[in-house]
Order: sequence, then structure tokens, then C-alpha cells
Amino acid sequence: MSPPAVLQVMLLVWGTLVGLDLVSVPQAMIARPIVAGPIAGAILGDVATGLQLGVLFELFQYDILPVGAVRYPEYGPATIAAVSAAHAGAGTLGFGLGAVVGLITAMAGGASLQVIRRLNTRAVHRAAAALETGEPRVLARLHIAGILRDAARAAVVTALGLALAQLARDYLVGTVSSRGRVLLSVAAVGVALAAGTAGTLRLVGRGPGLRWFAAGLVGGAAVVWLR
Amino acid sequence: MTTAARPPLGRSLLRLFTVQGSWNYERMQGIGMGVAEQPLIRDLEGNGTAYRAAVARAAHFFNAHPYLCGLAVGATARAEHDGVPPQQVERLRTALCGPLGALGDRLVWAGWLPLTSGLALIGVALGLGLWAIFGFLIVYNIGHVALRWWALRAGWAYGGQVATALREPVLQRAATLSAPAMALVAGVALPLVVHYLTGGFLSWTRAVLAVVAAGGFVLLRWQRARLTGLRFGLVLLALAALIGWFWR
Repeated sequence: MSPPAVLQVMLLVWGTLVGLDLVSVPQAMIARPIVAGPIAGAILGDVATGLQLGVLFELFQYDILPVGAVRYPEYGPATIAAVSAAHAGAGTLGFGLGAVVGLITAMAGGASLQVIRRLNTRAVHRAAAALETGEPRVLARLHIAGILRDAARAAVVTALGLALAQLARDYLVGTVSSRGRVLLSVAAVGVALAAGTAGTLRLVGRGPGLRWFAAGLVGGAAVVWLR
Repeated sequence: MTTAARPPLGRSLLRLFTVQGSWNYERMQGIGMGVAEQPLIRDLEGNGTAYRAAVARAAHFFNAHPYLCGLAVGATARAEHDGVPPQQVERLRTALCGPLGALGDRLVWAGWLPLTSGLALIGVALGLGLWAIFGFLIVYNIGHVALRWWALRAGWAYGGQVATALREPVLQRAATLSAPAMALVAGVALPLVVHYLTGGFLSWTRAVLAVVAAGGFVLLRWQRARLTGLRFGLVLLALAALIGWFWR
């Protein structure tokens, strides 16, 4: 079942804002999957799926440290597309379907960031002489054009993700066996946990932070056991 | 010297939220820095040549943590007002790139962000739902906006002596405390997230899941330089789809 067109448009707008937030404006972290997913879920009237996929992709996000010119996948619009795909799946079984759509979209999003950076570089290179004269209007024009380019990029990536979600809903939901869906979900959750743990340990390092991390693990395990 | 009585720091701050909008490989954040610095040096406009030259300098290469760019914007704008020679302004910008990048990465990307998002994960796993998400956005952005505002004000206040601002005790303490706090919260979050995500799986699938997660973790640590979570995820999902296709 596909979401109505108006909801698709709302997801597209949300995905564009999320994509813009990642690098351009204003880096308030709505691009984090833990935010992008649940809001997409709320738009579709399925907050639970949004939260689950938000948590899943947040773990993938821990694998990334966005420093300097480093290349990384874009998990914000990807999570929105994943929620859209999983919305049609049945509960936990929708995980795998969402993860397939989400990871492909994340890869496309990451590649699109490189394209935008190259286009910006070309524009700056072309305006180099004017920039050296200190003309403020040239500066403003380049900057605004960069932001608009990024907005267009975010919209295209989200649209691609939503289209993939539509294809997954139309062609995969009915054809993948229930065992296949379970396997996909197991793979998605397993990899997310592995990536999240590896990324976290990279941040924590081997110093005193590791002892704090271990103490936290014990505390968290105790909370799980008590619940 | 033409130091403005009330510098338009608010306008500059708003522009700083877009500092990476035109990020490129040639000047990196340079264009955004120029746009953000412009309101602070606009009153040099009376001296046309000095103003244009200051705008051109402001847009040169710059790369640091986006939340701390304000420190360089404020400091260089103040230096331009104080009549510091152009070469010295350029040197000041260049000298700030490394320290601001390193401090921001430590304070935000490896501290405040994983700390608050870890708290959000704990909140979701404990059933707080959307409240955990709104709480994350509010708490994270209080720190985010406060840091941007502090950076811009400190840059403007210290000017060429801006290195002093980086040694402020509050900043040093925050940098020292954020790492252990983040590690503790990440540790608490992990078992809760495992429980939250695996709740819907049956017993045999949980065993497979444990093997996949443990094996994946070892592989990602071992092949850190070549293998990312995304690549590993795509390969494993393709494999799962293939097995699922035959095993009906």
C-alpha cells in the first residue's frame, strides 16, 4: 500500500530539509536518523516504525566522523526512505526492507555530496578573479547558489529514496518469502549493531574512556535485566 | 582604527549557521566565512579599498569546525578594525584552522553530539518515544547555539589575541568532561538498544543475529581502513536476499 500523494510530498519536503541540515543550513541535527526517522514515521502515522528505523540508522551513523573533506554516506534522507518502505512491511519484518532501501539511498546521498562539492568548486574557480576584487555581491551570489544547489541535491536524493521505497513496496513485499524477510531483518539489525559498536569504540578510544564505556555497559545491562 | 560601537554580531551569527552552504574543495568554508564576516566589517565601507580588500581576505581558504568558525570571523573582523596589517590577518586565519578544527571535533563530534544522541537512544529504548527526540533536539541545540554565540563574541572581544579564548577554563573543562560522559552514555545505550531492536525476533533468529553482530564487529574493527558499515551492510543484505530467495 502506497502512502497518499500528499504524504509523499510531505516526506519529500522533510527529506529536503534534513538533507540541507547535514552540511549547509543550520546543522541543528535534524539530519540525524534518530530525528529524521521518527518525524517521517509521524508523517505516515507510524511513529513506531520511524523510531525503530531511526535507532537502526543512528547506529550506522556512529560509524562516521564528519571531519574535513571526508567522504561519508548520507543517512538522513535515507532513513526517511527506509521508513516509507518499511511502513508497508509487517513490524520487525519491515526492518530488512527498509534497510535495503535506506542503505542504497545513503550511498547515493554520499555520492551526491561529492558532486555538489565539485560543482561548488567549479563555480568558485570561475569567480576567482571577481572574488579577489572583494565584490560582496559575488560572494553572496556564490553562497546562495551553493545552498540552493544543496537543497536541490537533497530533494533529488529524497525523491530517489522514495521512488526506491515505492518499488520495494510494489515488487518486493509480495515476492520475498517470510523467511527471506526475516533474514533481511536479521542482517540489517546485526550489521547496524556491529557498525554502531565499532564506531562508538573508535570514538571512545583505549584510554580512560574505555573504563567509562565498560561501566556504562554494566549499568545498561542492569537496566535491561531489571526491566 | 574604526571599531564599531555595537557590532552586528546577531546578523553575523545568523549567517554563520550557513557557513558551509558553499563548501568546496578550493576554499572549503572560505566563501561562507566571507559572507558571515561581512556585517562586521561593513562599517569599513567608507574606506572603499580597505573594505573590498577585507572582504576578499575574509573569503580566502578556511577550514575548521563549523560551530567554532565564529571565533575566526570575530577575531579577523576585529583585527581588520584595529588596522592589523593584511599579512598578519591572513596568518591569524591560517593559524586558527587547526586548533578550531581539533577542538570542535573533540568537543562536538566526539563529545556533545554522541553524548546527547546516546541519551536520545536510551530515551527511545525506555519508551519515551517522540519526547526523547524533542528532548535531544532541544538539549543538543542549546549547546550548539551557545557554542556558536560564545565563539563569535570571544573572537570579537579578543581580536588578534584570540588564542587566549581557547584557553578559557570552561572550555577546557568541557573538553575534558565530554569524552568520559560520552563513553558512559554510549555504554549504557548499547545494551538498551540491543534489547529494543531485537525484541521482535524469535529465539533462533536471535542466535543468528548475535553471530552476525559479533562477526561484523570483528570484521569492521579488523578491516577498519577498507570496510565501512554501509559497504558491509549492503553486502550482507544482498547475501541475505539471495539465501531468502532459495530458502522458501
